[in-house]
Formats: sequence, structure tokens, C-alpha cells
Amino acid sequence: MGPQHPMTHGLWNLRVRIEGEVIKDVEPEMGFLHRGIEKISEDRHYNEIITLMDRTCYVAGLNWEHLFIVAAEQALHIEPPERAEYIRVLSAELQRIASHLMWYAAFCQDLGLTTPFLYGMRDRDLILDLFQSYTGARLTYEYMRVGGVRNDLPLGFTDRCRKVVDWLMDRFVEYDRLCLSSTIFNERCNGLGVLLAPEAVAYGVTGPMLRSAGSHRDIRKDRPYSVYNKLQFEVATANTADVTGRYLVRMEEMRQAVKISRQCLDWLDDNPGPVMASQLPRWLGAPYAPVGNEAYLLKRNYPTGLGFSMMEEPHGEAGAYIVNDGGEHPYRVKFRSPVLINIWAAKRYLPGYRVADIPPIMGSVDVCVGECDR
Amino acid sequence: MKTSELAASLTAKFGGRILGVDEFPGLLGRVRFDPAIATELFRTFRDDLGFVHLSMVGATDWVDHREVFYALWSDTDRVYVMLSTNLPPDAPTVASAVPIWPSANAHEREAWDLVGVRFEGHPDLRRIFMPEGYAYHPLLRSFKIHEPEDLEVKVRSD
Repeated sequence: MGPQHPMTHGLWNLRVRIEGEVIKDVEPEMGFLHRGIEKISEDRHYNEIITLMDRTCYVAGLNWEHLFIVAAEQALHIEPPERAEYIRVLSAELQRIASHLMWYAAFCQDLGLTTPFLYGMRDRDLILDLFQSYTGARLTYEYMRVGGVRNDLPLGFTDRCRKVVDWLMDRFVEYDRLCLSSTIFNERCNGLGVLLAPEAVAYGVTGPMLRSAGSHRDIRKDRPYSVYNKLQFEVATANTADVTGRYLVRMEEMRQAVKISRQCLDWLDDNPGPVMASQLPRWLGAPYAPVGNEAYLLKRNYPTGLGFSMMEEPHGEAGAYIVNDGGEHPYRVKFRSPVLINIWAAKRYLPGYRVADIPPIMGSVDVCVGECDR
Repeated sequence: MKTSELAASLTAKFGGRILGVDEFPGLLGRVRFDPAIATELFRTFRDDLGFVHLSMVGATDWVDHREVFYALWSDTDRVYVMLSTNLPPDAPTVASAVPIWPSANAHEREAWDLVGVRFEGHPDLRRIFMPEGYAYHPLLRSFKIHEPEDLEVKVRSD
């Protein structure tokens, strides 16, 4: 199945060995969308890599910007102001809702439910409108910077954002009514793609897939980054370990994301301030050195260090490891893609089911091939 | 657990084969080890220290040697630890972590594909992103990024 099969949601291939209708063995094949992001990063300034991060996962661009920026700041020994951290967390949580809505739309479309597809896409647009109002873009934001964020939120943004999340909270009730009362949804989702917690841990599965099996692992809670330790929220879990469980976890995660967003908005209303660190090294802001002016280059003082960040991205545990050996470019950038591992574990959770079960099961993984292949 | 406690317990077990345990802000530490004890060390980390989740495996080409690094996560201590080992560039081989953590399979295929590190005992060490039959390992420093190359793609027959 693939690389151009409606089930794949991107370019990847699933080799399926079957006996009649029953799946005996599967082998995912990747690489159709490999753009060498890690290689290109070695040749770019830190702030230029942010452009690539939006293309890494094109439905969760701000989460990946956040991931890279936190690792880069550790490698460069830079502290961002607190207001920038709150804006980043707000962006990441809104992006989480947008990503889950995209998943909801595409997943229901796979099942043959067209109404949820239209609702999901319609409501995601409201969040993209919000992003457009402060980043200027709807998909490729290039908003975060080493040392803060590019610009502050525009006037009246917090009120507009509150209206949108209030509206979304009502819509989540409607989504649940639409899906959980649908015979098609229940027949095609209940008890499919079961992956119990011990196996999920052994196979490296993370994110909503792991939490649907009853695990409480959520990096935002277990190892808080940015300002998550100052925010109140619950970890969404389910205990069915199947496709329905993953649906329930994502729905609850969206509600929790709204809760976090509201706290961020309240804080941002009360605490104006700078959104970029002062005293940033000049070479971070100047992308290209003047040609032939070696004296200018020699004056620069480059720090060295290692940067490591792990984050709860909408798909699972995403990671970045940056080796900075002193210079304007990182020496090595390594990303951990949650989707690559979640897809690869299909060897464990697909065999035994039927061929017609593949679209709902793989749909419940929330595949984003951009980050998988990088 | 603190970095110094980890260093003490590892040195007590492996002696000089642990080349050093460095401080790493936000992590339990960065353990540099001799590749000869890889499998034993992985088993110690999973069974004795509770690092049940292998989060990532990657490699860096330092030209005079290649470094393989592992990030592990413990659900009980809620902390990451980093392992790192140096391999000679002419024979970059280390024991595979697949028998300890099945999830290492895809990570190690990626490290082989992009940096050319061989993992002894890996059940299926093929390329994962680049096509089978591709002549280069793109993340090596010797790889020329701007040169066009002759791509010879073999199609699998099965």
C-alpha cells in the first residue's frame, strides 16, 4: 500500500504480507520525502534552521520551532525572557489543537465520515487565522528566534484568541457526539490496533498512542520545559489501547490545550515586557558575514556546548540534539521523530487484523511523513 | 539519583571501561564508554537503572573518529541520560541495542544509512531513507553536498 495510497497521508509505503484477508507481516518503507534537513542544518546559521523546522512537520510547525529553539539556546547559553516563553507555549498549544483537528478531519474522512472532515478543517482555519495575525503566515511561520520570538502579539489578540478557544470548547462536544454515536465509527474503531503498554514502551511508541494504553508519560508533566511547570493541566489517558482510545486521548488533549492556552493568555495580559533577550551576540542576527572582511570574523567570540531538548509534540516525543563546536553553524543536529518509530512499530500492532482495518489503524497513528523522513 | 552517584555505581561495575561521566544540564549525565562493553552497559541501564525507553540513537562524524550517542528515558526517575562512545573511522562497529530495546531497530538503520556506523547483531541493517544501492552516507563530512551524483537505484525483487 503506497506510496500514493489514500491510507498513507503522505509518501510512504507499507508492504503487507497477507494470507487471504489476514495480515501476516508488514514492513513500512520510508524515505520518499527525505530532504536531508539534518545535513542542510550543518550549513546554516541557527536562525536560518527555523525555516526548515516549519517544513519538518507541516501541521505542527510551531512545535518543531519550539523544540529546536530550546536545544539551540542550551547549546549557545542564551536565556529567553519569560514573556517569550509564555508566547511559545501558547503557540505550541494552539498548534497542538490545529494538528489534532487536522488529524480528526483526515481520520474521519478515512472512515467515510465526511461531516467531521469539513468541521475539522473549518475549525482549524480559525487557529490558522490567529497564527496569521501574529506570525504573518498560516503554515510556515518562522516565528521563534534564538533568544525569544520575532515580535510581540498584536493589540487585541488575547481577546480574539479567547473567543476562538471558547468556541472550540463547544465544538469538541459536537465532535464527540458525531463520532461516538456513529455506528460506522464504533464498528471500525473499537478493539482495533491494540498495542498494550509494555509492548508500546519496548517498541519506543510515544505520544497519544502510548497514553491510550494507560501510560501517564507526558514530557510536559514529567520533565517540564519552558513554563509548563507553572501551568495547570491533566495528562489525557485512556485504557482501551485501541483506535478509539487514541481518539479519546486526542480529544481530551485538545481540551487540556485550551486550558493551558487560557492560563497563558491571562499571564500575557498581566505581564507586558520584552520578547527578545538583550545582549544577543551580533552574529546571530547578521546571517551573512561581509565577504573579505576577515577582521570582523576574527573579533567574534563563539561559545561551545551541547543542546538537548525533548518535547511532547502532537504526535509523540520529539527530540533535538545539537552539537555546537564553536562557530556560526551547528556541527551536528539530530532530530528524533516520533512518527518514524510509531510507524515502525506497525510490525507489532498490525499483524492479525484484516486488510480493511489498515486505514483506521494507521490513521490513528497520526502520520506526518515530513518529520518522519526529515 | 545524581550524576556523581551514577558515575560511582557504573565505575564500581565496569571500572576503567567507563571513560567518564560528564555533567549535562537538564539530564542525568553523559556517559562515555568503551564500545566493548556496549551490550552489558545497555542491559545494566535497562534492568538495574530502569531506563526502559530508548529515545534516540544517532551518530556524529568527527572525521578522526565517529561518535555514536544514545538517549535513554526512565519512567521511574523521569530523567534522560545520554550515552556516548567513540569508534575508529575505518571500522565503525558497535554492538546493536536491538536485543535490549526493540525500538533501536529503526534508529540504528538510520545511523547506518546516514553516518555509516555498523551495528553488530542488528537483524535487518538496511538503508532506511536513501535508496538501497546508494553509494554514500550523506551525513559524513566527506560527502560533497553540491556535487551532482550518479544515482543508481536497485529495485528490490521480492
